[in-house]
Amino acid sequence: MTTFDADGVTLERVREYVWEIPQEEGMRVPARILASEALLEEISEDKTIEQIKNTTHLPGITNHAICMPDGHQGYGFPVGGVGALDAEDGCISPGAVGYDINCGVRMMRTNLTYDEVQGHEEELVDSLFANVPSGLGGGGIVEAGVDTVDEILARGVDWALEHGHAVEEDLLHCEDEGMREGADPDKVSQKAKDRGKNQIGSLGSGNHFLEVQRVTDVFDDEVGAAFGLEEDQIVVLIHCGSRGLGHQTCNDYLRKIEQQHKGLLDRLPDKELAAAPAGSQLAEDYYGAMNAAINFAWVNRQLIMHRTRKVFERVFDRSWESMEMDLLYDVAHNIAKKEMHTVNGAERELYVHRKGATRAFPAGHPEVPKAYRDVGQPVIIPGSMGAGSYVLRGGENSMDLTFGSTAHGAGRLMSRTQAKNEYWGGDVQQELEDQQQIYVKAQSGATVAEEAPGVYKDVDEVVRVSDELGIGDKVARTFPVCNIKG
Amino acid sequence: MEYELRDHTADVAVAATGDTLEAVFAAVADGLAAASCDDVPVDVGDRFTVSVTAESREALLFDFLDELIYLRDVREALPVDHRVETIDELGSEGWRLEASAREVPLDEVDAREVKAVTYSEMRLEQTDEGWESYVVFDV
Repeated sequence: MTTFDADGVTLERVREYVWEIPQEEGMRVPARILASEALLEEISEDKTIEQIKNTTHLPGITNHAICMPDGHQGYGFPVGGVGALDAEDGCISPGAVGYDINCGVRMMRTNLTYDEVQGHEEELVDSLFANVPSGLGGGGIVEAGVDTVDEILARGVDWALEHGHAVEEDLLHCEDEGMREGADPDKVSQKAKDRGKNQIGSLGSGNHFLEVQRVTDVFDDEVGAAFGLEEDQIVVLIHCGSRGLGHQTCNDYLRKIEQQHKGLLDRLPDKELAAAPAGSQLAEDYYGAMNAAINFAWVNRQLIMHRTRKVFERVFDRSWESMEMDLLYDVAHNIAKKEMHTVNGAERELYVHRKGATRAFPAGHPEVPKAYRDVGQPVIIPGSMGAGSYVLRGGENSMDLTFGSTAHGAGRLMSRTQAKNEYWGGDVQQELEDQQQIYVKAQSGATVAEEAPGVYKDVDEVVRVSDELGIGDKVARTFPVCNIKG
Repeated sequence: MEYELRDHTADVAVAATGDTLEAVFAAVADGLAAASCDDVPVDVGDRFTVSVTAESREALLFDFLDELIYLRDVREALPVDHRVETIDELGSEGWRLEASAREVPLDEVDAREVKAVTYSEMRLEQTDEGWESYVVFDV
């Protein structure tokens, strides 16, 4: 058997790209890392392996704790982690969902070609930057009172539809039609709502961005056609989450768990894995609050997308409908969802935690929206601002290998502090423009340095492994044209 | 009292020391401000006060930092120049902190968003020289 030694831990190769960390004391199940040797080398350089091992200590964890090919060190749970916890006698973990509840990505198509956009890049990037709030304290697209926040939390994109920020078709191309069942605004604290109310429709900062992209390759013509993608086409990718409302909700519940379920917490190797036992009041409350924050994030991305349509209308002087600016799909990266999965031949309800991982349900799965059920759920994997992004479709092995999940991005390689020492924002920006015709505009030069293409893993390799494993199949590749960030 | 920003793949960590518990709390908070902003303007903004109560010392540190991030978002101002006046043990009610900071309006500063304080790898320990702490923030 081939093995890989990483800092005192021996991983066994189960099959190509699947590495297993055998069970040892405290681990309820083995842990798995899905990676090529090249990616595993990178993954083993920080605390990812220790963190995925720690995750196996959570009660009710089923089959394996799994690290996706883009995995890296996070807090508690690694980024790129998937953990399916029994919904009856397991638990739900706010720490394993993460701070940015329903941080995610959506892609909007257009019928414009790259030719039509060339020459307009500067105007486009300036106008997007001026009209889409980003950074810290930039406000939001709508200013709302707490009543409005409550409606958004309860109704999601349906609220946006009623208020003219969405069209019917947008809902049909979003998971759960943009409205999570079981959302309970009363379980979201006043503090969280106060933070959220002036951030509705805003990117935030860090790795969040809005990018105009061109399709460079379509690898699968049939699925590409079903997704409405063809070479040279312009698309828009939006990456952001639930802003301060989600961050506050996570910490509110971490603290409640610490106060109410200390027994369980004391048995876990990392306090950040804090979990509420399935069936407890707190588990129900958190699930209601998290679902509400999921709705908030969907509305956030919806408002940004609709505002982008208006920006394109002004720059290209025609209606957004005539440019066919339609939502392709919206995927969540930080989420826990009650789902039915087959485990050892039996159907079980699990809280599937995906933190920095994307749901990737295959063709035919009843939870894939009708529009894509014949080909599989679209999966959108953003790369860095100097590399391509990918559109995948849920692969046929995903249910067996990963509880229907795949990677979520390139995955960071270098710390933010190190990135700032190695790069200067102005240089990065100029090089991207001169060498690759990518126009970047950011609130902060430091953010550009921290997000420089060199700080990320090779997204091509991440996607190759996903495709080879059959958990998410390559459909198309896109490349940046304009990028705005906080 | 002093702090240092440490490498962390996705996030930012602050390592801080102080002669007293108050000093180490203030140093971690200054580290949070430094993680948000490279050049804090010197003469901008008024001071405001913060009080926090929690059931343990670690929880008090967590809630203090959480409160600062909350206040940043709702007041749209970055808290800097932290002073922790007192930290008292209240017996069965836990611990109370009284602190102050200067708030710099966000539109006057080139600041980045620190999303949240985390409990991951958090340390708060008494040493021969005083206190030291390590806190990871989600960026």
